[in-house]
Amino acid sequence: MKMMKQSIFNLDTRTVVAIGIGAALYGLLNWVSIPVAPQTGLRPAIAILTVFGALFGPIVGFLSGAIGHIVFDLSSGTIWWSWVLGSAISGLGMGLVFMSKSFSIKEGRATGGNIATLAIVGSLALIVGFGISSVLDIYLFGEAPDKMLLQFIAASLSNITVHVILGVGAVLGLLKMNRSNSNLKVSK
Amino acid sequence: MSKAGMLYIERDTLFHRLDGAVKLIMLLAWTVIVFLFQDIRVFIVLFIIGLVLLMSAQLPWKRIRLLVWVIIVFNIFNSIFTILVSPAYGSEVNGTTTVLIDLGYEVLTLETVFYILTLSMKYMSLMPISILFVYTTHPTRFAGSLNRLGVPYKIAYAFNIAFRYIPDLKKDFISISHAMQARGVGLARGEGTLIQRMKHFAAIAIPLVQSSLARIDTVANAMDLRGFGKNAKRTWYSSSPWGRADIGIVIVCVIVLAVSITVRVQGFGTFWYPFNS
Repeated sequence: MKMMKQSIFNLDTRTVVAIGIGAALYGLLNWVSIPVAPQTGLRPAIAILTVFGALFGPIVGFLSGAIGHIVFDLSSGTIWWSWVLGSAISGLGMGLVFMSKSFSIKEGRATGGNIATLAIVGSLALIVGFGISSVLDIYLFGEAPDKMLLQFIAASLSNITVHVILGVGAVLGLLKMNRSNSNLKVSK
Repeated sequence: MSKAGMLYIERDTLFHRLDGAVKLIMLLAWTVIVFLFQDIRVFIVLFIIGLVLLMSAQLPWKRIRLLVWVIIVFNIFNSIFTILVSPAYGSEVNGTTTVLIDLGYEVLTLETVFYILTLSMKYMSLMPISILFVYTTHPTRFAGSLNRLGVPYKIAYAFNIAFRYIPDLKKDFISISHAMQARGVGLARGEGTLIQRMKHFAAIAIPLVQSSLARIDTVANAMDLRGFGKNAKRTWYSSSPWGRADIGIVIVCVIVLAVSITVRVQGFGTFWYPFNS
């Protein structure tokens, strides 16, 4: 693995492949949904955005979210453009922690603040992203606002649960694994 | 799901011969037109045109019926949910109130019933064209068409990678989940509480992510060796020049879209209610 962090806007081959594989995982796991309320379920796929955002940054998060959502929609019939945007914004938010210098999953280092940032900023991104999707549904499709609000609250609660428990949990696991892989110690 | 992770069905019809970019333009124009209006008459016309186009593509009903059912079931649930949450919303939109049933907390009005019919037709009018696009566009040609429409080729190529690796990842997911099930890790309903099932899902997803990360390195190295991303532009193996049909359909799309926008700007196409006195 490369140890240097690259500019987030540099789309090198590795980044392109990461976007593609992240999108494939997000699209594939979107088929799994554990129902908790009408038309809402715990979508474990959200955790893929957490992991890929934290590993590769906001650009990969954004594009994996968008492409993954389109790929899923293409195999299930209709492209819901408003929700594509929601997934993309969520992925972008998950990736913001990547820009902090003290955070690197590949080197297995992160401060408690980084983890809190990932959990909180990621949750906010889920609220903003799918909030925009809900508002677009009201304006583009003419959905009833009260009904959209209810759906939005249910979806946000379940998405944040998945993000914090499954997503941040997986990131902590990866950090721990990569830390123990390194035999190098700083001598004083 | 087909080998390529998409639902493509090989046929030789007008739609199969059209360039992917043309079909994407058609899908986008169609979607914008649907978004513009809130008039059930427009949606019925679009739905019928869509069905005629869908029939001309000669797709076997057996293969598409699942998607049709998905959208119908979605509409039924969406309608029931809307009626329960905002039974008087149609009156709010139309400005008149014709009470049908008193639900106790709110009244269900005739306007709402008509509003729900309109909304359902709106979703239905998107269905034929979406199915047409999904089943007649080959995934590898999809990336080329995106690039042709101005999406940078590296991003378009990420679509290719996603389509290419979904079947492989699916295979990984199934074998990991079988290995885990042999150890007593169940995913299905009734195989544990919600929290336990989430934990079990993590036990399958984390190895899947791990193997995918290793795969990213392998694929990226292979692509680097072949010089991916060296030049600012690239060509596509399957791309072909636009024929007369392609250009014709793009012109029709542009004209219909322009007419729709003009009509909408002049005020036609807001919520239409036939029983206004």
